[in-house]
Amino acid sequence: MANFNVNLRNKESVSVIDVKGYLDAHTAPELENVFNKLIDEKQYKVVVNFDDLKYISSAGLGVFMAYIETMRENNGDIKFSNMKENVYNIFDLLGFPLLYEFFKNEEDAIKKFLES
Amino acid sequence: MKKFLNAINTNNFENVIAISAILFLFNLIFPYHTSGILFLINEVLVFIVFLLLYKNLSSKLQNKSSVPLTLILNSGILAAILFFILSLTNSSYSLNTDGTISFNFFNSLLSVVVIFIFIGSIVFIFTTFKVLSFIRQKKDFTTYYDTMLFFIALSFLSNMLLFFDPTLDFPRDSFFIVSILLISINSVRVAWIAFLNKKQKKYLLILSVVLVVIYSITFSLLMDSNVVKKIIYTFSPGMHTLFSLVMIYGAIYFVVIFFTTLFHLPTAEVFDKKAQQVSSLMDITKLMTQVFDFKELADTITEMTTEICNSDSAWLVTKEKDKIILNSVYKIGFVDADKISNTLLEFNNIDEIFIHNNTGNKNSISYFEQNYNSVAIAPLKVYDKIYGYLFTARIKENSFEEDEIKSVETFANYAAVALENAMLIKQSIEKERLEKELDVARDIQRKILPLKTPSLKNLEISSLFVPAFEVGGDYYDFFELGNNKLGFVIADVSGKGISAAFIMAEVEGIFESLSKMIHSPKEILIKVNEILFKNLERKNFVTAIYGVIDTATKKVTFSRAGHTPLLHFSNNQISQLKPKGIGLGLDISEKFSNSLEEMEFYLDNDDILMCYSDGITEAKNANYEDFGYQRLEEIIKNFSEKNTDLIANEIMKEISLFTKDKSQHDDITLIIFKWKNN
Repeated sequence: MANFNVNLRNKESVSVIDVKGYLDAHTAPELENVFNKLIDEKQYKVVVNFDDLKYISSAGLGVFMAYIETMRENNGDIKFSNMKENVYNIFDLLGFPLLYEFFKNEEDAIKKFLES
Repeated sequence: MKKFLNAINTNNFENVIAISAILFLFNLIFPYHTSGILFLINEVLVFIVFLLLYKNLSSKLQNKSSVPLTLILNSGILAAILFFILSLTNSSYSLNTDGTISFNFFNSLLSVVVIFIFIGSIVFIFTTFKVLSFIRQKKDFTTYYDTMLFFIALSFLSNMLLFFDPTLDFPRDSFFIVSILLISINSVRVAWIAFLNKKQKKYLLILSVVLVVIYSITFSLLMDSNVVKKIIYTFSPGMHTLFSLVMIYGAIYFVVIFFTTLFHLPTAEVFDKKAQQVSSLMDITKLMTQVFDFKELADTITEMTTEICNSDSAWLVTKEKDKIILNSVYKIGFVDADKISNTLLEFNNIDEIFIHNNTGNKNSISYFEQNYNSVAIAPLKVYDKIYGYLFTARIKENSFEEDEIKSVETFANYAAVALENAMLIKQSIEKERLEKELDVARDIQRKILPLKTPSLKNLEISSLFVPAFEVGGDYYDFFELGNNKLGFVIADVSGKGISAAFIMAEVEGIFESLSKMIHSPKEILIKVNEILFKNLERKNFVTAIYGVIDTATKKVTFSRAGHTPLLHFSNNQISQLKPKGIGLGLDISEKFSNSLEEMEFYLDNDDILMCYSDGITEAKNANYEDFGYQRLEEIIKNFSEKNTDLIANEIMKEISLFTKDKSQHDDITLIIFKWKNN
């Protein structure tokens, strides 16, 4: 199967998740683990950096749906940044732009968190 | 004689009793065998009794050959009884006699009973020796043994000559001596001693000393004491000879046993250990075929490891993605075992058995120094691939011996195969379960999808569905709504496998019932969203297009909930119709209903409408490139004049050519409509 990598880092009070490669039904659990860890640590402000993501399937999209409620209930959010056009199209087709905030780059997303 | 033996069933105990009874009565009636005939008859009868009893007992005792010590003990007890009776008779008779022995009825009865006890015991003891001699003999030495039997029989029978002429004792004596020689030869068959454990050997050593004494004294009683000699001699001289021979046999045999055991004793412990190792290896071979649970197997292996190499603790780790995972520990804590294995594996590249001795230098692990002096690490190798390590550690000062290292190594090799088997079986069970599950999922999907497309005037319809191995959860359907209206739906459930199939079944039910009540595509999708949002897990969602074609007015009305766009081919132009709409089950708030758009347009002659699932555009080739919209549009343009079936086939053909050998990742679904103005 295609590769998928996920990396977690902190920038100020915001957690940034870097996703890389192919995010589908087989690799989605890896991303779920990261979100579970964040919730355990009560870290609810999350930016997902899509810079290196090549493909996302419906199961991959489902991961964000699964955690958004918890984040928002705790005054946090999941924001997306650095998305390539082909990946954005998939999000767009599904109507995600109505549900999530998308940013050109990571810094903007973090700034948005810090302002609020 | 042989013929006679074969004629009667030698194994039949009744024959023994019958002959014995005759002998018994004979001796009660004729206490003195003064006449030659009586003497000969008596002698022959005694011989037959011996022979039959021997045949009978040897087949019975043969079953006891697995417990030599019990046999020895039993014969020893009998020998002791013989000795007791003999010495008792010796003392009591000598008081009451004046040279000759007078037989009254009671006396003769007692004598005969005693004689019978003698016969039984002698035969039992003799048979015991026979059985012992044959235990664990690799070579066939029956010829030696039979020769011995033959000469013993000759010694017995040659006594008859004495009756005719008392000076004719030399044949008997020479046969007697030859018998003793043969007995000595046959006495060296003591291979079974080696297989006793140390405790048993010690026991045997003491027992053999006692028995040598008993047999020797009994023999000397037989030879020296006039009383004893007289009683037995009077009864049957042959028996006296046989009795003596058996006692000599006993004395010689137990002297041999004593020395053999004595020499085996220092090596007994080593032998015990070896035997234990062999049995451990046998146990694991047995386990391999019986236990398929990895954890259970690992536990047994660690426990056995300490047994085979005299160590104090053992544990087993497996290597997964360069991480060391502790599977089983025996007599060591999880934390300790983990720490030691990580440290040792970090510093040493181990691909064959490795011994770490605590040398006391600064580099050795401080932790290690306090507890274990020596650790053996054996890799678990299958086909040269190391997938784990077997550790065993010793507190004692001395390091592992060469043979112990060998044992651990051999054991680890067996263990590796056993564990590998267990893992493979676990994997195949898991795989089988998944395949079963997918079978169910595919079955659900097959039953839900429409069997055929509706046939309508002016509207040509084709559909195509190719399920992926893992079941993608695609769904499509048509609803004839009356008033020249046809409803259609295409949906794609997120995720795969059985869970996607179940959601799909739910989606089918909802559309099926709502399509009859609500005609506006927008209203239907809003309603479906409400229901699904309540029932779905948050990570699951469904994309869909619901539309209605009015064949009377040529009007198409549809709404899209996150699904791939509807393609409309008209006047050589393809447009992607993408009215706004969020996927179903993503959000309950007004965002969904507010954002959802309904689009309508009219059909022209030869217009083509196409709905598809992302299984088509996201079909991938070996380089992970998408099939994409572009190729799809090309095909529609190029084949727009053909009928819908042909277009569908062409699309599928192109996808197959594009993906080649790459397996289909997601369901492929396609619905094509073509409008014909008459």
